[in-house]
Amino acid sequence: MELPDRILTLRRSVALSRLPHVHYVRLRGDGAHELLDRVFTRELYVRVGQLSLGLLLRDDGSVLADCYLGSDEDGFFLLAECRDRAELLEYLRRHGEGTGELEIVATDEYALISVEGPYAWQLMARLGGPEIIGLPFMTFFHLDGMICCRAGKTGEYGYWLIVPSSREGSVWDDLREKGRALDVGEAGLDALDVCALENWFFNVRREGSGDLTPLELQLQWRLSRSKAFIGSEALVERRRLGLRKRVTTVAAPGPMSLGERLVRDGRPIGEVVNAAFSPARGDWVGLALVELEYAHPGVTASLTGAGEILARFISTPVIANRSLYVNPQVHSYASRHEDDFPSLVPS
Amino acid sequence: MDDDLRAKLDRRNELSLRVRRLLVEDLHVPRELDEIDPDTPLFGVGLTLDSIDAVDLLVQLEVKFGINIPSDAEGRAALRSVNCIVDLVLAREDAERGAA
Repeated sequence: MELPDRILTLRRSVALSRLPHVHYVRLRGDGAHELLDRVFTRELYVRVGQLSLGLLLRDDGSVLADCYLGSDEDGFFLLAECRDRAELLEYLRRHGEGTGELEIVATDEYALISVEGPYAWQLMARLGGPEIIGLPFMTFFHLDGMICCRAGKTGEYGYWLIVPSSREGSVWDDLREKGRALDVGEAGLDALDVCALENWFFNVRREGSGDLTPLELQLQWRLSRSKAFIGSEALVERRRLGLRKRVTTVAAPGPMSLGERLVRDGRPIGEVVNAAFSPARGDWVGLALVELEYAHPGVTASLTGAGEILARFISTPVIANRSLYVNPQVHSYASRHEDDFPSLVPS
Repeated sequence: MDDDLRAKLDRRNELSLRVRRLLVEDLHVPRELDEIDPDTPLFGVGLTLDSIDAVDLLVQLEVKFGINIPSDAEGRAALRSVNCIVDLVLAREDAERGAA
């Protein structure tokens, strides 16, 4: 299936993806809490069964990893997206020195599968029982040797399954079989990246791959106000100097490419740091690092790549996610044609 | 920057500040005003407002900005960030100017 079709499957029904870019890391021992308190950018008020979405920063405040943190009877675990697993593990071991007993385990014995879409809850109920429908966002539970996380970065109902690698194939096949009546499809990382962009879930492999900090990235909500963490001193200094640029959402009728400049009044005011064609909208959407005074919805600027295309900064999310309107108590995939849902494109 | 755009962005910044002040002072979001980025999600992740906060927000937006947003799914979809709320207020102002 082509990329636009895979994206639209996720937006309209339910789609499966393998997540080899997400690293499952277990942290055990007395030192685990102290390590996480040093490196995780949010408070560690995580009850058993809860997830917290935070960051791991380098000393200069740039982003190393985008992480879910969970806590259970076995200690803590991270579901970490980053560019380099070896760098992640070296970072954790280095900052874990002197914390007491600490075991950091990242193996290939587990794989991750995501189930996402406005009817993902219906497929998950067929896999694990109807109680899954009531699982609150940002929680998880153990299910038949797997961990089922109510999470995701597409703006739709989302579940991430942490599965023993030996069972990955059978769980995948089971989901495909159980999802047949839901027209389940396969999305894949490229489709997930576009969906994350449409809802502006941070992408550490795109806009997060340079030296931008959470201040430019509009991720201040992921920063603790009450504790120091690795990188927090750099953020204090950057705040003191004053923020000059901010990442903002941009849409254009023609292609945008990474690094392409945005020009207004005869001079560059920003550059594209993430971009993709949105099949739901029928135009290109992206993120641009823009001078602060221009980084507002409604401002226009010219893209200077292939020809001159007028781009417009817009509010995010750029999609009216169907999951906002699908109520598991009322709707089902079978009745979707009778349900009056708004267009995927906000009016 | 031309005067027309400057005036529009000044108005946008003024409304953005008022919305963020509403979030901090009326909905008790535990953040400084400049820590609330304009595209931060208000519900779910982000500022983690809940359904009770949503009702408060709708009431405050009607009281302080005169905008009446339904409390259904479509209304909630319009309240996803500070920028989304500012868009609503500006759209209403544009509509009023057009009707005058």
